[in-house]
Amino acid sequence: MSIWNYVVTAHKPTNVTHSCVGNFTSPQELNLIIAKCTRIEIHLLTPQGLQPMLDVPIYGRIATLELFRPHGEAQDFLFIATERYKFCVLQWDPETSELITRAMGDVSDRIGRPTDNGQIGIIDPDCRLIGLHLYDGLFKVIPFDNRGQLKEAFNIRLEELQVLDIKFLFGCSKPTIVVLYQDNKDARHVKTYEVALKDKDFVEGPWSQNNLDNGADILIPVPPPFCGVIIIGEETIVYCSANAFKAIPIRAAITKAYGRVDPDGSRYLLGDHTGLLSLLVITHEKEKVTGLKIEPLGETSIASTISYLDNAFVYIGSSYADSQLIKLNLQPDAKGSYVEVLERYVNLGPIVDFCVVDLERQGQGQVVTCSGAYKDGSLRIVRNGIGINEQASVELQGIKGMWSLRSSTDDPFDTFLVVSFISETRILAMNLEDELEETEIEGFCSQVQTLFCHDAIHNQLVQVTSSSVRLVSSTTRELRNEWKAPSSYSINVATANATQVLLATGGGHLVYLEIGDGILTEIKHVQLEYEISCLDINPIGENPKYSNLAAVGMWTDISVSVFSLPDLNLITKEHLGGEIIPRSVLLCAFEGISYLLCALGDGHLLNFLLNTSTGELTDRKKVSLGTQPITLRTFSSKNATHVFAASDRPTVIYSSNKKLLYSNVNLKEVSHMCPFNSAAFPDSLAIAKEGELTIGTIDDIQKLHIRSIPLGEHARRICHQEQSRTFAICSLKYNQTSNEESEMHFVRLLDDQTFEFISTYPLDTFEYGCSILSCSFSDDNNVYYCVGTAYVLPEENEPTKGRILIFVVEDGKLQLIVEKETKGAVYSLNAFNGKLLAAINQKIQLYKWVLREDGSHELQSECGHHGHILALYVQTRGDFIVVGDLMKSISLLIYKHEEGAIEERARDYNANWMSAVEILDDDIYLGAENNFNLFTVRKNSEGATDEERGRLEVVGEFHLGEFVNRFRHGSLVMRLPDSDVGQIPTVIFGTINGVIGVIASLPHEQYVFLEKLQTNLRKVIKGVGGLSHEQWRSFNNEKKTVDARNFLDGDLIESFLDLNRAKMDEISKAMSVSVEELCKRVEELTRLH
Amino acid sequence: MESSSAQPTDTNPSPSGASQFLTNLPSRGLFSSTVISSNPGGMRVYICDHNTSPPDDQHIKTNQQNILIRSLTLRKQKGDSSSKDGTEGSRKRVAEKVLDSRASAKRTNNQVNSRQEGSSTQTSNRDFQSLTVERLRALLKAKGLSVKGKKDELIARLKGANG
Repeated sequence: MSIWNYVVTAHKPTNVTHSCVGNFTSPQELNLIIAKCTRIEIHLLTPQGLQPMLDVPIYGRIATLELFRPHGEAQDFLFIATERYKFCVLQWDPETSELITRAMGDVSDRIGRPTDNGQIGIIDPDCRLIGLHLYDGLFKVIPFDNRGQLKEAFNIRLEELQVLDIKFLFGCSKPTIVVLYQDNKDARHVKTYEVALKDKDFVEGPWSQNNLDNGADILIPVPPPFCGVIIIGEETIVYCSANAFKAIPIRAAITKAYGRVDPDGSRYLLGDHTGLLSLLVITHEKEKVTGLKIEPLGETSIASTISYLDNAFVYIGSSYADSQLIKLNLQPDAKGSYVEVLERYVNLGPIVDFCVVDLERQGQGQVVTCSGAYKDGSLRIVRNGIGINEQASVELQGIKGMWSLRSSTDDPFDTFLVVSFISETRILAMNLEDELEETEIEGFCSQVQTLFCHDAIHNQLVQVTSSSVRLVSSTTRELRNEWKAPSSYSINVATANATQVLLATGGGHLVYLEIGDGILTEIKHVQLEYEISCLDINPIGENPKYSNLAAVGMWTDISVSVFSLPDLNLITKEHLGGEIIPRSVLLCAFEGISYLLCALGDGHLLNFLLNTSTGELTDRKKVSLGTQPITLRTFSSKNATHVFAASDRPTVIYSSNKKLLYSNVNLKEVSHMCPFNSAAFPDSLAIAKEGELTIGTIDDIQKLHIRSIPLGEHARRICHQEQSRTFAICSLKYNQTSNEESEMHFVRLLDDQTFEFISTYPLDTFEYGCSILSCSFSDDNNVYYCVGTAYVLPEENEPTKGRILIFVVEDGKLQLIVEKETKGAVYSLNAFNGKLLAAINQKIQLYKWVLREDGSHELQSECGHHGHILALYVQTRGDFIVVGDLMKSISLLIYKHEEGAIEERARDYNANWMSAVEILDDDIYLGAENNFNLFTVRKNSEGATDEERGRLEVVGEFHLGEFVNRFRHGSLVMRLPDSDVGQIPTVIFGTINGVIGVIASLPHEQYVFLEKLQTNLRKVIKGVGGLSHEQWRSFNNEKKTVDARNFLDGDLIESFLDLNRAKMDEISKAMSVSVEELCKRVEELTRLH
Repeated sequence: MESSSAQPTDTNPSPSGASQFLTNLPSRGLFSSTVISSNPGGMRVYICDHNTSPPDDQHIKTNQQNILIRSLTLRKQKGDSSSKDGTEGSRKRVAEKVLDSRASAKRTNNQVNSRQEGSSTQTSNRDFQSLTVERLRALLKAKGLSVKGKKDELIARLKGANG
């Protein structure tokens, strides 16, 4: 790999951190707005449910998200503050459908200690000011003037240093905040302050309340008429206002989120850390609060945010499981739950660990993640491309073409499947037992190869062979008419639709026939200058049975032409360039846009926008799909039309956002495909591949497919073993009895196909599984699972004891073979020169695998290396060991065989707190740290002095904005050795927000080109809310902020393809590179993920 | 709506059920269809190719003046104005504040007893606030207490001594 890296998101963040409901997109429309860390999603509430509107990338990690309505405005504004101290106020312009920046600014202070309990951003209910608590002891005020404009911000000293929550109180003549804080004796209190805007200071507020529940954590301001605040503790809930104090005890629980149900604030939904949803009710007599009531409703995902939508529907956003749309039923179900889960929105976060495997052995990686936490822990199998679910298959060699036919024009289902071979044609049909059996259509000629078949009007079928066109009745199956080719010429290619036939014979003759009731009429005949290689008359106009246009591909001049029908006049001719002839053309329409697709013999595909009235071809684009000739065919799935490109790398072409997308199908070499929608196999495809005919259904057409395996416990480490075809995980299960919470830790073995637990090894009390590895040792052919553990005792700061456990899989069972005690937590295990390398607390330790006299094995310590704070992450390559330390960045060690010793070779002297490391190549190492940055360091072997050689030089820096938990070499896509991107090595990463990303090392020339493109894109694609891309991607931690270098933001670069033509032209001009070339190069990159 | 709210009490007489609290959930006619469907994945990614800089005066910055210096200047300004207007001005301000707090108490439906409690402490507090630091120091000296610290600390100390 190289130092020039390209970072791109394959799976966007799915961890929902905030949500709110309001009239954002119009005064009449109600919206749900969801924050997923670095993106916001805008949904529309409709009588039919949630309708997604927009997915907006934000150049920052969202710390607070609030909707508010300034004076004199008809719709709500959106306030967003980011973790890097930027804020913006957004307004939706319904006319242009744009997000307008009403205000933005930087709210950072030069001095100040960032708050421990997260940033707080609140807006006064009467819209007099925005309050921010970003640094301990400071409260920042951004006042509004009476026209709703923001004024200069100022800080107010806040005496309370350990603030847990701040909210504005409703119904106060002066803006009043209520502060929940902890004093230096760890007791918790609330206090109110009025914000005196003129004096820029606090004035003691109307009331305070000391000595609350020790777990009090959340304040809920209560709107008029009650006003006051609800304080949610772990054991009590308190209502507090100037004139009332009501408290109720609750079942011990940590409340994670709340959502207000009624506008008058009499009911609230609370979600706790176990996923229990409760209803909190303020009982009242008129406007006087008489008490509180809490009722459990049922179980949901563990909520991080709750938004009441409408009509008893509630959105539950979660960080630890799938987010949900639920309905609150008036009557409990059989289990006593009032909650009905109607929809689940996939969330991969937090990805704690993952592995890259090729379960189907197709040469394509799949990622298996440890996702979710607590009760909602799961494994997720993420793979790229579209799967075919095989339903039936037969062995059939040498298929040259396939078509499905109906038994009558009005039949909704296909009956016949015509399969053509080099010297015969066979017809398969569904019999009464819903089995596919061979049948005959008497009128068809079955002793020769069929060139084309189609259903025709008036219950007829059309068969084209090299000598004739046969029109056959689909009811009597008898020949009704035949058009014979002139004896001197044979038909080479043909196409047809319900009313038309177009065929080409040798010598460049193009013949156009029309189909009548029992008659074929030759309408037109022209001779073209060259031989014809492919044809299409798929109707894309208003009439689904008749096409006004014909597409013709030609040999010799390598061109594609559009002819008008029925008069066969040439409208457009487009030379394709190069020497590869077009093998398949297709007229098709997606989302109301017409295209001409043209596939070449070398696996390239060209697409043009087609103007159906003038026949004009524009916006030519070229992509490489495979290396073999492609045949194109349309099919429909879920009421949308897609195109199947059969080749050595079968691809589905579909359209989203009016843009063509290519998703590969998880099959090897497909020679032909035809849709086969029979009663027994509805919505299926017939696929010819490698001597086999398969009938199967197709997955949803989208890029990444995620399968979820709920575990009911939290998986923390995962590893795959090819030999035993198993996964092993380290997991923990939370047991919740009435008042005791306990954890149990396990090593579990799972089948890699069914994902069922097949064996379990329980760990000791307090023993955590920390690392897992599948490896073999020198002089031993067995493959083992090695597990590193730690005894985490409540009284110890750092574990002082752990174990290394070596298991072998025998008869599907985990058998413990060897056990070795260690003097600390085994944070990492690596296979190293046929030995086992363990990271144990601050030490790196190498163990030999030794055969004892009695035939058993043992781990024998060979050598070690001290000098780390905590060696958390270790990667090895040859004799080199790269260590990611808790707080001392990356260091490089080397194992010296002769001396049997491990020595430090070099280190990075920055104080980065690491979260993952990976070796990119011999000299370049990649690290992720806990301020959401990525960096690369390079070994400097040519340094002149020892000092220089002992320093790892930082060569790349980038702010990812995501907390990376793991890097793994591998790829999510099928790698073709002869494609351009096939040569680019990649690393996959997984993050807390559920992002799966790809880091690709580019050749220098490509990097320079893309860097220039990125610079130009920054000028055209602006940050929402005026946030700067350059600042967002700059490496940032407590000590320094420096511009990103040697990393490119692939998400920005790939959004080039979503730009309109004018903006593309602008960039093309600035770059002096054609739009087509830019599109081609960017599209190639999208194939990395 | 009535029939649905009557139902739970008929069929589910136990008072512990949440049903009684789940009636009359707010509804604006959304999510009313019997078949709730959503189409995930159909979300358009927003490409922001328009100008996103805010209006000129809405580029918000923080006042960089030190909090202490700011409060001193504000106090000085206040002192200036009070010296101009005489003591009347400051007294008026106090009066305004009291009025304000009373108005707010009415608006928030505060009850009389609490307001009295609150206002009595506030009054004594404001009494001290209206005194100059020199006067406060003199009072402290009379009580034999330390005269060091900010005005607020002096007041706190005085209040502590008073009760």
